[in-house]
Amino acid sequence: MTDKNETVIALLGQPNSGKSTLFNALTGLRQHVGNWPGKTVEKKEGTFKHNGTDYLVADLPGTYSLSANSDEEMITRDYIASGKADVVCILADSSQLERSLYMLADFAGVTVPCFLVLNMSDVAAEQGKNIKVKELEKKLGIPVILISATDTKAYDRFYQALELAVKGKTVLDPGALEKRYEEIGAYGKVRQIIPDGVIPGYSKTWLAAKAIEKDEPVIAKITEKLSAGDKKLLQSALSEVDKGVVLTGERKFAWIDEFLSGIVEKKKTQISLGKFDRIITHRVWGKPVVILTVLLGLVASFIPALPLMGIGQLIGKIPDPLNEALLNIGCPAFIAALLCDVLIRSLSFIVQMLGFVFGVTLVFGLLEEVGVMARISYVFDNTMAKFGLQGKSVMPFLISFGCTMGGAAGTRVIDSWGQKVLTIALAWAVPCGAAWAVIPMLSTIFFGAWMPVIILVILLVMLLHMWITAKIFGRSLVKKEDRYGMIMELPPYHKPKWGALFRYVFGRTKDTFIRALKVVVVVALAFWLLSYTSTGDITNSILYKVGHFIEPVTKIFGMGWQTFMAFIASSLGKEGALGVLSTIFTGSGTISVGALVSGARAENINEILVNNIAKPEALAFIFAMTFNMPCIVALAATYQETHSVKWTARIALYYTGMALVLAGIAYYIGLLIW
Amino acid sequence: MEKLLALLKDGKSRTPEMLAAELGVSVEDVKRDIEFLERTGVIVKVGFSENGHSCNGCTGCGTGKKTCAGCMPEGGFKNMGYMWEVK
Repeated sequence: MTDKNETVIALLGQPNSGKSTLFNALTGLRQHVGNWPGKTVEKKEGTFKHNGTDYLVADLPGTYSLSANSDEEMITRDYIASGKADVVCILADSSQLERSLYMLADFAGVTVPCFLVLNMSDVAAEQGKNIKVKELEKKLGIPVILISATDTKAYDRFYQALELAVKGKTVLDPGALEKRYEEIGAYGKVRQIIPDGVIPGYSKTWLAAKAIEKDEPVIAKITEKLSAGDKKLLQSALSEVDKGVVLTGERKFAWIDEFLSGIVEKKKTQISLGKFDRIITHRVWGKPVVILTVLLGLVASFIPALPLMGIGQLIGKIPDPLNEALLNIGCPAFIAALLCDVLIRSLSFIVQMLGFVFGVTLVFGLLEEVGVMARISYVFDNTMAKFGLQGKSVMPFLISFGCTMGGAAGTRVIDSWGQKVLTIALAWAVPCGAAWAVIPMLSTIFFGAWMPVIILVILLVMLLHMWITAKIFGRSLVKKEDRYGMIMELPPYHKPKWGALFRYVFGRTKDTFIRALKVVVVVALAFWLLSYTSTGDITNSILYKVGHFIEPVTKIFGMGWQTFMAFIASSLGKEGALGVLSTIFTGSGTISVGALVSGARAENINEILVNNIAKPEALAFIFAMTFNMPCIVALAATYQETHSVKWTARIALYYTGMALVLAGIAYYIGLLIW
Repeated sequence: MEKLLALLKDGKSRTPEMLAAELGVSVEDVKRDIEFLERTGVIVKVGFSENGHSCNGCTGCGTGKKTCAGCMPEGGFKNMGYMWEVK
């Protein structure tokens, strides 16, 4: 009751329970909006008159419960404790009573009169739910009404319930709920210790339950009123409790289900998984099916790549005639070679590569949009456990298929530093978007239709690589600990939004084009300059001399000095390898290594590559490049995320070494095949 | 909910549907439990679906856009579902 003799109604309910609609309908324009003292939470009050009585309505902040998790909840609790409210109107969503009655259950034990409004009766009716209000009233001992707050005709019942609650001082009986609380060992002990009158309006039942939930403000209030001996008793009783909020929460829901039984005709929903979901969650078939899906996706993604590959090859035919034409019109040989050998040949490679970027992005973007990607991460979740990682590490890995830097940044969701470093270390093994452009292109050039097999082997080696890496680094980074499984809600299957998807695909293709252009041209130029000699004899160039010097070592790993140089360049960015290949092997005019090695000048860059590099060496090179460090910027990103020079260097050296070892293995296996 | 958490202790991840089947309750009940456990901070939603990340290096980053067009679709991955981990 206010000093103006108004009866005070406090509206209590979860967000989206329709509190505001009810508040507006009751008070109309007689509203006052301000802030709660000292808080940034909005305070809304309004007045109305009914049957000669003045009412003040306080719209309490919408909160999930009455715990002490937020300002809103504290305001709500304090308001009820202040004794200002004559009656509390509790709102619940009648279309999902089992969930939204949690507020009522959390209110049980508060001794302020109350009544229950089951709102959104229209939605519940649409769902075919029949709620027996009268029986519910009997069970709870407070007025209950079922309304739709938007229906103005329903308000007569609201006023009736209000008057009944105010006159009858109807208090919610927590007896049945308390019986359930008593199953919790510590509850009885705690309740016994609590003295009278700790917080006005809140019964011992409510206080004891909150204490069990480790509600700090409540425990502090109780402790204030206790003797030293009782304080110790309370502490020892509470120390027995683990996850108290789950213990009481469980019982609140059980209580709700109990009084709702027979009240709501509940439709039993059949648990049904989609066909694909049933397969992927299968113990044995899950992984093979997912791997097959990914492979089919990859193969499919090469279809749109083919036309661009053709265009790229056509561009590759330009340099020779153009070079001749330029020389004929008196252009200096140096400039002509720069234009033809460095720029146009780089461009030829980049265009061939772009097709794959386009295809791979399109197919995997589509898989994500449709909802398959989430299922893939689900299937590999348990594999994470074997690596000693949390399930959420799967996300950085997935991002790393696009960009290792993104993957490294994605590890920010991982709290433990060791887990984070290990995740980044493993993410390096995942071939990034640039690798997915270079690998299929080179594989197609060297192995033609066998390209999908190469891709499959690379994926399998990737998993093996990650497993070995986890074994090597895992011991010092992550301790074996009990891991909780995650709850993963798989998204429903969607129809793809083609517009957004194509924007992403084109954006990515453009990005890759710009990045690749920079890397390839710079690398090509550098290597071109290193191989440039005034006499035109490549054997005099620095590059050739260095190359020949190191070749005995590089041969161990199956690579000649040329491919080894390309491998080195790939640590700047995978595309860098193409810059080297295009320069060393295909230079025209004065510095043609390609011509030097093959003895004759071929028309097409691809042909030159095939003529100069044997299949085992090509295989060795592809593996070396794929599992080399992702790029120089990923190295920087790794440092940024790990803040450790030691670990960044360790990972980088390890990857360079591993790439060479894998290349060697691939080479010797290649020798057996071809 | 105690049973639900006990199930997850074996380290295997599950979907709400699988939890419902194993616990012999309805999917709505499981979703109610998930909502409660999340609200009370016992489980935490892992947020990479909606939020993008910041990365440096690729073009398109550093232009004030939240997600990098080179790494992720506009606004990040939107259809990856939800994951919760037990704190």
